[in-house]
Amino acid sequence: MTTPHFFAVATIGAAVATIASPATAQTTAPASKTKVETTAATQEKIELSGAELWTLNCNRCHMIRSPGEFTAAQWEAIMMHMRVRANIPAAQAREILKFLQAGAGK
Amino acid sequence: MRRPDHPIVNRTITWGFVGLSLLATSFASFGQEPASASDYVSRAEYDKLKAEHEALKQEMDELKTAVRQMANGTVPAIPAEGPSTAKATSPEGKQLVTTTTAPAASDAVPIETSGPLATHSFSIVGDAEFQFGKISHQHGAFMFADFAPIFLFRGGDRILFEAGFDFTIQNNAPGSSGYATTLNLSFATIDYIINDYVTFTGGNMLLPLGTYSERSAGWLNKFPDAPLPRSVLPGNGIGVQLRGGIPLGEKGASLTYSGFVINGPGSMDGSGDAGQLDLGGNVGLTSDGKLTNNLHGGAGEGGRVAIFWPWKPQYDLEVGVSGMSSRYDNAGRQQYNAGVVDASLHLGPSVEVKGEYMNTWVGTDNAGTIRPRGWWVQGGYKLAGLKLGLPYLDKLELVGRYDTVNDALGTWTKRGTVGAVYYVTNTLWLEGDYEFTSNRGPNPAPDDSLLFQISYGF
Ligand code: HEC
Repeated sequence: MTTPHFFAVATIGAAVATIASPATAQTTAPASKTKVETTAATQEKIELSGAELWTLNCNRCHMIRSPGEFTAAQWEAIMMHMRVRANIPAAQAREILKFLQAGAGK
Repeated sequence: MRRPDHPIVNRTITWGFVGLSLLATSFASFGQEPASASDYVSRAEYDKLKAEHEALKQEMDELKTAVRQMANGTVPAIPAEGPSTAKATSPEGKQLVTTTTAPAASDAVPIETSGPLATHSFSIVGDAEFQFGKISHQHGAFMFADFAPIFLFRGGDRILFEAGFDFTIQNNAPGSSGYATTLNLSFATIDYIINDYVTFTGGNMLLPLGTYSERSAGWLNKFPDAPLPRSVLPGNGIGVQLRGGIPLGEKGASLTYSGFVINGPGSMDGSGDAGQLDLGGNVGLTSDGKLTNNLHGGAGEGGRVAIFWPWKPQYDLEVGVSGMSSRYDNAGRQQYNAGVVDASLHLGPSVEVKGEYMNTWVGTDNAGTIRPRGWWVQGGYKLAGLKLGLPYLDKLELVGRYDTVNDALGTWTKRGTVGAVYYVTNTLWLEGDYEFTSNRGPNPAPDDSLLFQISYGF
């Protein structure tokens, strides 16, 4: 009875903590000083390239989809779809999108 | 919008030219001359504007995005976006955004908006399945299984509308002729990216209870049907959700979360009696259109947290725990609770193993708390891993699954499935499976069956 409640509360708690965390407040930051700090905080250091992140992330739920299968504009919508569906961290999603668009079909 | 007093008129003209020069830059790839500007402005004016444009370009992220989109040919006539000047940037760093309708530069009017304008784009993706089934002691039949388009509508960098539909056809009831086409809404949500770590989703959502519902399109599932124990969990819910992913380290690992609040399940006859739980109902509107509220007045809440851990390309483990809790009877006295553990493992390009364990606790008026539960595990091995270099075998994956469900009303079903997937392309598959089913309890066991399916993702 209480176990599932715990899961629910824990996940919602995690979400709330994430919103409340100052590192993510870049959209609401009122003072320019905070803005500078938060910009630095959101620039996640990613060691892996877009291509590497693509091979890590994009063939675990389905067969990998190649850059040439869609146009650059379609990839924009599809990557948004996948980012949300797979909870892919934003910085990684951006690198993957760049890689896909660079090789996109016409 | 502001009144066109003198300075504004000047600004309008200036902005008209900035707009023009932007357009010119972005279309430079088409080899066009910079908009025959010499007919209207002197070289010096043009150079000055060009310099201003360069400065603006550095400052404005939005501008960069817009220019890049134009270069992609996505929205050639997109209004140029950007703050009017550095002066318009208030001390707090708030930005006023001025938009200029680029093609008609001469009568362009600056409009203040609260943010960058959306660039809209629309795509149709999805999947289709076609089945041939042979159930023991019955005739084999071709079945059109499913046509499932997904509409993706992207409105700018933050908003995505996604809606998935299922079209299927079925024979009419024995004794009547013809067939019926059913159209189901599998999901329809609006996703709003709040920031790098949080996305808001609202609508009819696939629920993150385990992973199956969110990852079940025909060209994703290596079997033609769903694991049996999914019947103890709701696949969808109407409500809202916050979700996102947080990177862990720099090797691509992440912590992901989803938390939702939905109407929750309902009860078929309204009571809290055993067997009346309706996991698919309670969408907020009854068929007579009268009741536009939650059947039991309580909300259901739940979520999932997971860790995705790749240690080298194609080697990764994902483990998640999820659960939900809700009232379900009309009186709001009885509770439905669910807990799920899911895992998925890849060992190189050829080996995949995944599964889920789910347990539910359903309070009833007449049978105390019952526990419908089950689990499934499936594995796949791609023969390409054997490096035989044989053209057809290299495209084959052998798959196996074991699934079991106990409905807690007396029936316990077990099933073993063996099969193969032949990959014509990455999204066009031929699947063949044999399912052995056995059970204990009052409900008759489904017969063993042989299924072939063509799945296509587009
Ligand atoms: C969490 C599992 C998961 C991951 C990880 C994932 N996808 Fe998907 N993908 C799906 C599902 C599920 C669908 C089917 C569409 C649906 O059900 O809405 C899909 C569909 C697609 C499609 C078809 C078009 C569409 O938007 O439906 C493309 C293309 C695609 N994915 C590309 C990618 C790329 C590129 C990545 C890597 C960034 C990726 N996927 C990662 C689950 C995933």
